[in-house]
Amino acid sequence: MYLVADIDQDICSGTSCKLCTQYCPEANTIQYDEGLGAEGSKYGSAYVSVDRCKGCAICVWVCDTMAKHHAIKLEMIDKIPEIATTLGMQYTATGVVAERIKSEVLSEG
Amino acid sequence: MSLEYVKFTPGFAKFMPKEYRDMVDHGPFGRKTTVAQTGQFKEILEEHPMCAGCAMTLFIRLAFIALPNPEDTVMVGTAGCGRLAISQAAIQFVYGNYGDTNAVASGLTRGLKLRFGDKPKDVVVMAGDGGLADIGFGNTLHSWFRKEKFTTVMLDNEIYGNTGGQESGMTNKGQVLKMAPLGKKFEKMDMLGMAKVAGCAYVASVIPNNPKRVESVIKKAVLVAREVGPTYIQAYTSCNIEYGIPTEQVMQDAKDVEKERYAFSEYITDDAKEYLATQHGYKQYLPKPAPASVS
Repeated sequence: MYLVADIDQDICSGTSCKLCTQYCPEANTIQYDEGLGAEGSKYGSAYVSVDRCKGCAICVWVCDTMAKHHAIKLEMIDKIPEIATTLGMQYTATGVVAERIKSEVLSEG
Repeated sequence: MSLEYVKFTPGFAKFMPKEYRDMVDHGPFGRKTTVAQTGQFKEILEEHPMCAGCAMTLFIRLAFIALPNPEDTVMVGTAGCGRLAISQAAIQFVYGNYGDTNAVASGLTRGLKLRFGDKPKDVVVMAGDGGLADIGFGNTLHSWFRKEKFTTVMLDNEIYGNTGGQESGMTNKGQVLKMAPLGKKFEKMDMLGMAKVAGCAYVASVIPNNPKRVESVIKKAVLVAREVGPTYIQAYTSCNIEYGIPTEQVMQDAKDVEKERYAFSEYITDDAKEYLATQHGYKQYLPKPAPASVS
């Protein structure tokens, strides 16, 4: 198993900075969806498309040091309950909506 | 070479990969995209084999988002790390021989001008410090002296990163590297100064730790190169492998280097200022009204 970035959507939906989506060196890896986040939150949340994440942790530095929200952590991919991948993504007017799958499917192969 | 080029023949859409279908339906072709919208549209850049946490990749990604007309742009690249990402993108890519990028781009610009006339077709050379300042130095400078109208972007990682860490002309004096164990003996080349002397209409040095600035610099350079003259951008894109920077510290390093020796600088000629102000609505370059005379 390997490390990927994991975004706490409750914290992320409390702000509208979107810095991590701009600083990620991989294209279409940190995506943004207006519909995600905590109930009744004003903004949407960013999330990680795990099949493209190389685990470089630039987003962790950006979220901790520049935005000071501390919403992103590196996690072992099988320890994250639900993951999103590029294949399950739909581009809509409010952002990119991803189908979230249980990470247990990874260990099943 | 145009928006129509990427669209499917009717009936074939279902056989194309999902990434390609997303690119046609939700990509930046034919509409304006900005850095602020990242994460909400399909980008030109695709998955690529560059190292994790590479600042060069970040710069290339931001540059692709910033291109004013991606569907009318041709990228010219050469051997080096950068082409690994530049070639993995939904944009025309020409692979020049090592050092020949600016010669290839000169011919390409003239050919496109003959074929398409006044229709804007942008040629952007994106190559490393080795390709532009060492091996392609003559071609680079001569294309500027000839006032060839295209953009040259140097991805300055201050090393030959792809071949194991040899010193390049852009490496700093005294830098010890794997293949330069005694340290470099000469100063870093002043390519920004040479670009100004050689007659570039727009010269900028930039660091990718400010995405909005990268966007504005690339936009201006590509627009100025359409009409006014050659443009040159030098971007510090650290090599975190050869310089041993932990990936989570890549942006901190960029910030430190910017403060220390790579400050943002922008040189723009009066012709280019006038062109941007009158043709593309850059209000900050409008001639200032003459100050009222004090009587």
